[in-house]
Amino acid sequence: MTDIIKREPVIPVVAGIKDPIRDGIKAGWKLQSATELSNDSLLSADVIIIGTGAGGGTAAEILTDAGLNVLMLEEGPLKSSDDFRMDEREAYRDMYQESAGRMSKDGSMSILQGRCVGGTTVINWTSSFRTPEQTLEHWAKEFGVKGMSSEEMAPWFAKMEERLGVEPWQVSPNKNNAVLKDGAAKLGLDWKVIPRNVRGCWNLGYCGVGCPTNAKQSMLVTTIPSALEQGAKLLYSARAERLIMEGRKVLGVEVSALDDNYQPTGKRIIAKAPHVILAAGAINGPALMLRSKAPDPHKRIGKRTFFHPTTFTFAEFEEYVDPYYGAPQSIYSDHYQWNTVTGPVGYKLEVPPLPPGFASVLLLGHGANHFQDIQKLPHLHSMIALLRDGFNAESEGGKIELSNDGSPIIDYKVNDYLWDGVVRSWLSMAEMQFAAGAKATRVSHVDSPWFHSWEEAKAGIPKLEFRSNAYTIGSAHCMGGMAMGEDQTRCLVDSNGKYHHLDNLYVFDGSVFPTSIGANPQLSIYGMACRNAHKLVETIKNA
Amino acid sequence: MQKITTSRRGFMQLSATSAAFLAAGASFASLTGCTKAPVASGYKVLRNTDFEFITAIAPVVLGGSYPGVLGPEKAPEVLLKAVDNLVVTLQEYAQSQLIMMFDVMQSAPLRVAMDAPWSTWPEATAEDIERFLQGWKTSMIPLKRMGYGSLVKVLAMCWYSQPETFISSGYPGMPKRELLTDQPIAAAD
Repeated sequence: MTDIIKREPVIPVVAGIKDPIRDGIKAGWKLQSATELSNDSLLSADVIIIGTGAGGGTAAEILTDAGLNVLMLEEGPLKSSDDFRMDEREAYRDMYQESAGRMSKDGSMSILQGRCVGGTTVINWTSSFRTPEQTLEHWAKEFGVKGMSSEEMAPWFAKMEERLGVEPWQVSPNKNNAVLKDGAAKLGLDWKVIPRNVRGCWNLGYCGVGCPTNAKQSMLVTTIPSALEQGAKLLYSARAERLIMEGRKVLGVEVSALDDNYQPTGKRIIAKAPHVILAAGAINGPALMLRSKAPDPHKRIGKRTFFHPTTFTFAEFEEYVDPYYGAPQSIYSDHYQWNTVTGPVGYKLEVPPLPPGFASVLLLGHGANHFQDIQKLPHLHSMIALLRDGFNAESEGGKIELSNDGSPIIDYKVNDYLWDGVVRSWLSMAEMQFAAGAKATRVSHVDSPWFHSWEEAKAGIPKLEFRSNAYTIGSAHCMGGMAMGEDQTRCLVDSNGKYHHLDNLYVFDGSVFPTSIGANPQLSIYGMACRNAHKLVETIKNA
Repeated sequence: MQKITTSRRGFMQLSATSAAFLAAGASFASLTGCTKAPVASGYKVLRNTDFEFITAIAPVVLGGSYPGVLGPEKAPEVLLKAVDNLVVTLQEYAQSQLIMMFDVMQSAPLRVAMDAPWSTWPEATAEDIERFLQGWKTSMIPLKRMGYGSLVKVLAMCWYSQPETFISSGYPGMPKRELLTDQPIAAAD
């Protein structure tokens, strides 16, 4: 134990960081909490953007640059680098949906999603991939998506990569990521370095709890400050309750002010604009549309919701892994991803960071065994597989429903098709972990023992029982629910993001993806929002 | 919605039908009816009755890490406050399911019907609680497995994110943070 007490972070102190938001407030940016407005306040703008994550943040900068008067609405609070103390407790409470406790209806999927100014971009692990070519081809063929081939999208991705500093990570991977690289190399599998959206990264490892050095190029430190600098307005702690509609037009948005506990204060605000952009993500966006009773002749709102259901395995190493320090994701493998596009489910392999609270949940279980497992933390490595859902007829995704109070319920089930991928992914990851020198491996399933050799794991993993809530399925990627495409019986928005059944509503976020992406989705959202925001500027200017 | 009473007759009816009923995908709502105990003073969601349940199962769920360096006086309060802060931010569906599970835990007949200890929580032995947790973990009934998953995940998250428990996980901690100024966010007028 004395050994543990003496250890300290690789970088012991973070100091000397300027907070761009606090500076901006001093400089007179127009931003405030909805709770500061009086009841029944009326706000107006040229464009309202609901949500300030990857889609909303990107659109805000482009529309403001074009000279439009933009109002951003965000249900989460405003937190910035001086608030980011690398403490899980504060981060989950302040910046995650449901304090990182968001779950599917039957409790079997845990969902990490942002809820703050900047959205999930403030708490993601920085992996930035262009939408895979196979995915874009599948959308064109199956859903009639137009103008979004790899070649057509390339300039938009390039523009956002430049804007957000996306480059393959130049520093050596931390031990947690090195296991994936070493295991893949040993077995002769493909692996690559992950492109990250960072500038001047300190390699601390705390991307998931708010970057304390502002190195992560989230919306919070890039596009949102740029829009505010040019006069855009931001209203936070402001939940969009419903769209106010008349015929085929959205007239405005009814907003509810939220208190520090994320509960409605009873204060209502109305925001009006001739154009409204919905960028509230794949759970809250469809829920808002359902609450608003938006036109939906084919009952498609909230259908085909995808999550990259994510499986976990753990490995114990003799040496320290310290899986909470260093860039959380720097190596990936697509070896098992594209053997077939529409056949048995493919998966991307990455690693997660393991701060202690998060690790204790993933280790799943209770009592002496669970305590023994958590005590191994400094020597633990974990690998994850992101299952590419939505490409096969057996993978129709989940659906968003409304609770009694209008909040979303996420109904998503792991079926036999996905379970096959769960087991294959556990096997792939355990094999790589042993190849990289692990002493023992365990999968995130309550019945899983520690396996002490690849032979043991190969025999034991397929015997683990398929029963809900016995194993961890996580997700940090919410996609779908308002599919994009020209086939109106299956799709709700056109290839430029305009809602088919309303004349002035645009959807610029991950909810328009007709399947999952097959890679961490942030750059897919940036690129698409960048393209569609520029098209919207043209539409508005030509009107 | 089926209204279950705590009378002997209600309990017998429940026992007779519970297995088939639960296996068919019941929710905690359908078990509990509409009991509403007042929220404990200084808390946002948890009731005094929930304290007994959570502090009884905590040493069994969290094994040797509880109460740890916080000690038997402080540990329950730290854990309960953290659970309260998490549960208050859950959206309506998840929060109501969890609260209704806590309601079930307050009724002896419902506890027995759900294979939890008959005795009150302060009187339940570690063996009783372990048997209950194991039963829910491996149950054929999805509702019980969901209950197990929610309980162990919520308690683990709330406990191991506390700096006082880092010594049990071996996490050396986060870097220290020194700010240029000490200024809360003040919105512009």
